[in-house]
Amino acid sequence: MATRTLHRRSRTKEVLTRLLAYLAILVALILTLFPIYWIAANSFKFDIDIFAVPPEWLPRNPTLKHYQEAFIQRPFLRYALNSFLVAVGTTIVSVVFGTMAGYALARFHYPWQWRKQVSFWILSTRMMPPIVSIIPLYLFFNYFQMLNTKSALVIAYTAFNLPFATWMMKSYFQDLPVELEEAAVVDGDTRWGAFLHVALPLARPGLAATAIFCLIISWNEFLLSLIITLTEQSQTLPIGIAGRVTQYNTYWGEISAAGFMACVPIVIFAFIVQKHLVRGLSLGAVKG
Amino acid sequence: MLKSASDGTSTAQSRPGGWLERWAERHLRYLMLAPTVLILLALTIFPSLYMFYAAVHRISPNPDLPWEFVGAGNFARLLSDAQFHVALRNTIVFTVVAVTVEFLLGLGLALLLDKFIRRLTFLKTVLMIPMMLPPIAVAITWKLIYEPQFGVLNEIMYRLGLPLQAWAGDVNLAMFSIIVADVWQWTPFIFLLMLAGLASLPVEPYEAAALDGASSWRQFWDLTIPFLKPVIAIALLLRVMDALRLFDLVFILTGGGPADRTKVLSLYIYQVAYRFADPGYAAAISLFVLFVTIVLSTWFMKRMRLAD
Repeated sequence: MATRTLHRRSRTKEVLTRLLAYLAILVALILTLFPIYWIAANSFKFDIDIFAVPPEWLPRNPTLKHYQEAFIQRPFLRYALNSFLVAVGTTIVSVVFGTMAGYALARFHYPWQWRKQVSFWILSTRMMPPIVSIIPLYLFFNYFQMLNTKSALVIAYTAFNLPFATWMMKSYFQDLPVELEEAAVVDGDTRWGAFLHVALPLARPGLAATAIFCLIISWNEFLLSLIITLTEQSQTLPIGIAGRVTQYNTYWGEISAAGFMACVPIVIFAFIVQKHLVRGLSLGAVKG
Repeated sequence: MLKSASDGTSTAQSRPGGWLERWAERHLRYLMLAPTVLILLALTIFPSLYMFYAAVHRISPNPDLPWEFVGAGNFARLLSDAQFHVALRNTIVFTVVAVTVEFLLGLGLALLLDKFIRRLTFLKTVLMIPMMLPPIAVAITWKLIYEPQFGVLNEIMYRLGLPLQAWAGDVNLAMFSIIVADVWQWTPFIFLLMLAGLASLPVEPYEAAALDGASSWRQFWDLTIPFLKPVIAIALLLRVMDALRLFDLVFILTGGGPADRTKVLSLYIYQVAYRFADPGYAAAISLFVLFVTIVLSTWFMKRMRLAD
């Protein structure tokens, strides 16, 4: 009898925990999704409905007016293209060099504990706040007349994407069995060949995840672009959006449309890399 | 590790190929690392050295005027600059409060959901969305929510019969508003990492503890927390580093105001460099931030042996 009540009590407790967990999921979901829904909803409203009090929870007269304003009348398409080009350029440079460095740090021996020291130093460059480098970067790009160019942005973004790519790929290569590469070398392949023909194909999912993370980081970047670019021809999407929040007026419809559009590719990417999220977000330190 | 490749040259030499290829193969471990090391040296060491040089000068906004050497003058100004002290205090308050709240919420949620959602990858990914979004998009979203006249938050306050607020525009609520937006974006990060940590916990110690009759509270403190420690350390390190560089949210939501209540170090450096056109002094503040970041992250990484 005693064991029975004990059993029943623990069952009630379990049911309660389960209910609490579901409630927490529900609340977390609502709080997570509402702001995203809200920016999307407002991007489809006429100005007068954006300013409505009480707010219009669902757009009553949906319109694409603000999308037309932003992407046809104003240069947001240009900004988006700039963002895209800079992100792709940065990603190529970071993934190519980061993969080689990550492989070297995962596989080779170096004298005097270099492996550890270099890994540590590369990680520490990732920790450097971007605000710290804006002054030298600005003066540097100014000197070489590279302000307002996309190449300047690629160079600046590489500074923090390359350490990221190196650490990610190092972590992926460390998870691959070394025996296959050893077998390739025994069979007469060179060490470089073993990397190219054996390790690299095996690391393909890791490469894809790393590349997508680099794209996201570059796409989202704001501060460096704010300092390096002043012209429409070179500015990225976040700068374009911030430019429509002025002291005198905030163009709500336009920035909602542009802001929501800036989020869409990111959400798609997030679903593509969902399996690698934990590793990517912890620079390869936590394997999820 | 590959012995034949890293220190033996016999296999490479026996193969056909020019001396260049053989040389490249022999030094592969350095050649593969070299581009990354050189690029990062150029992009981090050079700016840091340059900043030391800038920090000991007074730099006129007029590019034709020469830089005036002021020695430690810019660093001395740090001690007496009240605005710098405000920015430093705001940065510390923001970092401590935001990261603490994110940590407690994230860990709490993860503990609660650990048992139920291991297989629901889709749900997890949906909860992860905020932290992937461009911070500028997050900032304008919250600007819209905080809007005093037609914002959603004041509508909720009104329905609850509470006084309406200016939120990001209110002297006492501005920092709170910034923190809420940051918590919205970054709690998922802690949550995700904690969930991954919880999923990798070994089962046996818990079974043993249950047999010994240890309460779940004891199990949490004596098993879960120690096992999670490395993951917690990484999550906190990355969050603190990010919080110290806060810029985008403040730039859009408050611009540092009202009454400098949300002026953080990044924003102050930006203002000194561009609005007050004093890059020499901005370089001195940057070096201070760099110094703090290096000390903090080195201490953290050394403690957690992250470089292994």
